[in-house]
Amino acid sequence: MFDINHGNLDDSPDVGQEIVRRIHDRFGDFPARFQKADLVRLDVPQKDIIPVLSWLRTETPFVQLTHLTAVDWLEDGQFELMYLVTAPDLMVSLHLCVRLDRAKAEAESVFNLWLQAETYEQEINEMFGIHFPGSPRQGVPFILEGWRDMPPMRRDFDTVAYCDRTHPVRPGREHQDSRVYVGRKFGEKGYLK
Amino acid sequence: MSVFDYTTQPGFDLISETPNAGTTVDPKEVQLWFGPQHPGITGNMSVQLWLEGDTIKRGITHVGYLHRGFEKLMERRKFIQSFPIVCRMCVAEPDTTEYLLASSLEELSGLDQAVPEKGQWLRTLVMEMSRLQVTLMVMGGQVGTMGMGTAPNWTYTLRDFLLDSFEELTGGRVYHMYITYGGVRRDLTPGFAQRLEATLDRIEERLPYLDDLILNSAVFQQRTQGVSVVPAEWADELGITGPVLRAMGVARDTRRDYPYLKYPELDFKVCTATGSDIYARTQVRRAEIAESIHIIRQILQMMPQEGPYCAKLPNMLTWTIPAGSTYVRAESSRGEMGFVMVTDGSDTIRRVHLRGPSYTNAVTILERMLPGMNIADLSATMVSLQTCPPEIER
Repeated sequence: MFDINHGNLDDSPDVGQEIVRRIHDRFGDFPARFQKADLVRLDVPQKDIIPVLSWLRTETPFVQLTHLTAVDWLEDGQFELMYLVTAPDLMVSLHLCVRLDRAKAEAESVFNLWLQAETYEQEINEMFGIHFPGSPRQGVPFILEGWRDMPPMRRDFDTVAYCDRTHPVRPGREHQDSRVYVGRKFGEKGYLK
Repeated sequence: MSVFDYTTQPGFDLISETPNAGTTVDPKEVQLWFGPQHPGITGNMSVQLWLEGDTIKRGITHVGYLHRGFEKLMERRKFIQSFPIVCRMCVAEPDTTEYLLASSLEELSGLDQAVPEKGQWLRTLVMEMSRLQVTLMVMGGQVGTMGMGTAPNWTYTLRDFLLDSFEELTGGRVYHMYITYGGVRRDLTPGFAQRLEATLDRIEERLPYLDDLILNSAVFQQRTQGVSVVPAEWADELGITGPVLRAMGVARDTRRDYPYLKYPELDFKVCTATGSDIYARTQVRRAEIAESIHIIRQILQMMPQEGPYCAKLPNMLTWTIPAGSTYVRAESSRGEMGFVMVTDGSDTIRRVHLRGPSYTNAVTILERMLPGMNIADLSATMVSLQTCPPEIER
């Protein structure tokens, strides 16, 4: 891979520093954190994420999408998408993090850049409710067949309330906390004396 | 993109998994669910197939039969409570996920510098023992899918000897929970190294016989050479790692490329093959068995006999970790496994995400390899890709 404007990345003594410098030159001064020799984190505005990823995919050795996942920052009213792109020949990864408005949970798909993104985007769509228009498997169940509730990886999804709703208590019991019933039968310590 | 995309196939609606309205259904086409209850399926998953005769026209991978919400569970528990969860993310190979959990949180908390020398050696030892026992299992499984029963009996027996060693060292045969924050839970028992060495000798002694039964077998060669070839251009497009990548002749290995634990001090080679078919992937695994034995012997020789094996830890009930995020990776028997770890300054994990090679192998790669494949080759293909459902659905 040869970047015609800046020379070959392979020649750079510190690939992480160099790729961040080039991203800053081209797209703007995003906050960057050099976490370790093979990992740099960049916080990218939503409007810039697809141009940055496209450039990395087509014009640099960062050709692999190692993973894509999401974090729910409920208290900030935001989701965060985390793209890890790797240059396998240079042995460096970039963690590109982008914040989305939680009320408008939608992001552009990277399926056209990496085909495997379809599964990542399908899972994020199912688990967080973030929509990727144009991604081929949006709305297709991946893990949760027949799920009718809130996307379960959202922080405000209450697992205990869901269990109480979905799985009725056994006859003779008022709730699901088995410790109470074990205590009644075996004493407070939970075993036979 | 050069990869075949079945979603663009005319007349097929992906959401309803049925032909589009107005599309004529081919009367010769048969729909078949391969799994989740089938001796040829690799774990609790299924592949929905559309067949014409015994040729697969297309297929979709279905997972979710084993989803236990591990990532969600870990968000609601103290850091120490996650160890019994992560080891279940890949049943056969729990040590990799244990290491990833420990090292990611150590990195974010600054505890990584405190892991003692011996603790790092012991971690390297169990990681490599784990790779060896899984590779033996997969070698047997590979020929088992073709109805050849002798080799699996041998490899599973050899694996069981290694499980004896795990039981002696960790107390558990399958789930070990041996690696913990700051190091490992206990030291080697007296005489462990000699007993492990004897097991390695026993495995090594059998390898030529296994070669005759597997790689030199005319039946195995006919069933695997040129079958289920993964095109080289998929390597970067689909993020392929591990033996599937090395069978393309690409010498990439996380242990060497992103050094961790004591691997930089060890002498080992990255095993490759050419052909990128099932046979080549088996060749890589066979070579990796010998290489793992070589690595374990080095570890036993180089490991310090004395010294602490675990750092002094903070109170696990009140331990908080500063806000941050990281990605750590390790080479499992299937390829690169990694943890994305996000913390927020509290006493629980904010978000953890497992990146496993099966995610790509069982869905993206497998679905694109299915069209044109003979159904008799499906099981062998899945084993050669080492698809592991719990790692996909977590």
